[in-house]
Amino acid sequence: MLFKPRSIAVFFRILVTALALTATGLIVLFFLFLVKESVPVFQAEGARFLTGGDWWVGESYGAGPMIFGSAVVTLLALAMVLPFALAGAVVASEFLSPRLRWAMKSLMELFAGVPGIIYGLLGVGVLAPAVKDFFGLIDGNTLLTAALLLGLMVFPTILTLADDALHAVPGKYRDQAQGLGLSRLETVRAVVLPQARAGLLGAVFLGLGRAMGETIAVMLVIGGRDQVPSPWYNLFAPGQSIPSKLGREAAEAVGAGLHWNALLGLGLVLFLMVLGVTVAGQLFLNKGRAT
Amino acid sequence: MKRGLVEKAAMAVLGIMAGMGVLVLVLILAEVFLRGGGALDAGFFLEESRDFGAAGGVRYQITGTLLLMVGAAALGLPLALAGALFQTEYLKSPGLKRGLRLLIYSLNGVPTILFGLLGYLFFGIYLGAGVSWLTGVLILAIMILPTIQVSVQEAIEALPENYREAGGALGLSRWQEIRSIVLPHSFFGIVTGTLLGLARAAGETAAILFTATAFSGARFPASFGDPVPTLQTHILVLAQEAVNPRAIEAAWGAGCVLLILVFSLIAASLFFRSRLSMEFDR
Repeated sequence: MLFKPRSIAVFFRILVTALALTATGLIVLFFLFLVKESVPVFQAEGARFLTGGDWWVGESYGAGPMIFGSAVVTLLALAMVLPFALAGAVVASEFLSPRLRWAMKSLMELFAGVPGIIYGLLGVGVLAPAVKDFFGLIDGNTLLTAALLLGLMVFPTILTLADDALHAVPGKYRDQAQGLGLSRLETVRAVVLPQARAGLLGAVFLGLGRAMGETIAVMLVIGGRDQVPSPWYNLFAPGQSIPSKLGREAAEAVGAGLHWNALLGLGLVLFLMVLGVTVAGQLFLNKGRAT
Repeated sequence: MKRGLVEKAAMAVLGIMAGMGVLVLVLILAEVFLRGGGALDAGFFLEESRDFGAAGGVRYQITGTLLLMVGAAALGLPLALAGALFQTEYLKSPGLKRGLRLLIYSLNGVPTILFGLLGYLFFGIYLGAGVSWLTGVLILAIMILPTIQVSVQEAIEALPENYREAGGALGLSRWQEIRSIVLPHSFFGIVTGTLLGLARAAGETAAILFTATAFSGARFPASFGDPVPTLQTHILVLAQEAVNPRAIEAAWGAGCVLLILVFSLIAASLFFRSRLSMEFDR
């Protein structure tokens, strides 16, 4: 034999380690890049980059309206979809037969994979005209439209994760509660929901993280105006979120100048927001699984 | 008596809300097929797009989407497999394991547009790959890495302990254990992860929009340095700019094709995952 089994084992070990470290190194390098490339805009604008309201390419870069837009749209989407997704999760986990639950979960998994561009197309072709007609607006591309679309998009994700969290509560708790004379619904309210709290929070946070980063669908219906609406709670006004800004301007700014640095600065802000939410969500989910 | 009534009413409210959520989603997705189904004929799949999408089909858009998706999986799978094996078989420190795990999970949540920006900066500019399908493949490979790796890793970790003990009792080395126990028994996990990765790559738009694709003037790439047209960019451009009703119908048609592609990949992954759980239930 040309190679001894021992040398194959050593070679394989080195190969696996090298590939794994390459991937990890690349990921770390990406994040370092993001920080390095956004330094110039923080030097030029200082804290005004985060609070400023004017974004004029070549003059000033203020990310305020984009940060506002991202926060409003994602929180609103979540607030609208949460009651429905949680109701769905409770029904799926506590009241459906295993077979039906499996069917519902599969359907949700299928829907969770629907590409953002499909929602974008639906937003342009169906939702924006509907919002326009229903509320009698001149233009259907508003913060509210974007939030509605995002809500639809994260519904399956939140439902599945929340269902997992509820299902992870051991059956003996339910048996005990029902043995004490609680009805099935009272059992859910008094025992299952409190037990699953960490997992449910995890589901909400991961859904929030997903909504925050969605680019294409939001970009097509949010209206694309870099201003905080006046008054600020006017949801029928067009706005801008961080990803939609990036999606619109990346192509023209690519690679050079303060404009590019400013976009990457926006990217860094988005990254930190999403990272915080996602890591929190994952920790909650792990905690939910552990109990 | 009153208690039973309250219970029934609350159940009804729950059921209605859950049903409404699912129904709205089903109806709105059915809309894609209602509006685009009419555009789907043999010519739509076989002809190239002409007149700003108003005539012809989406032949090269389909090949472009497939090229990017398959390339990304071909590159992402070895990396994900190595990452999963490294963490489960070779790495000993629990702290490092937890750290790497958190890194992979947080990578899963990173907005895809950031992969586009940074990937273009790194592969497109620093490494000189430009706006090309090679850049797109590299970016998508990193993007789907966590999707595949999480699935593979979960399959490996679900491996019953006595399988490994049997291997240890036979005096197998780590490498022999991986080759004859770990990999064969996590096969369905690997397939599931790859299919989910393919589905994710097929549906991605933001990361490849300005790094790998072109709307017009591109067909099948002649080299690694050429951009490709894709279904995703085709839909995006038409949704934003088309006024001709035929072109708008073509956008819905392209949406149908993309949705069918993604749904089949996910459905296949669900099938393989049920095989996986059956394997361990035995």
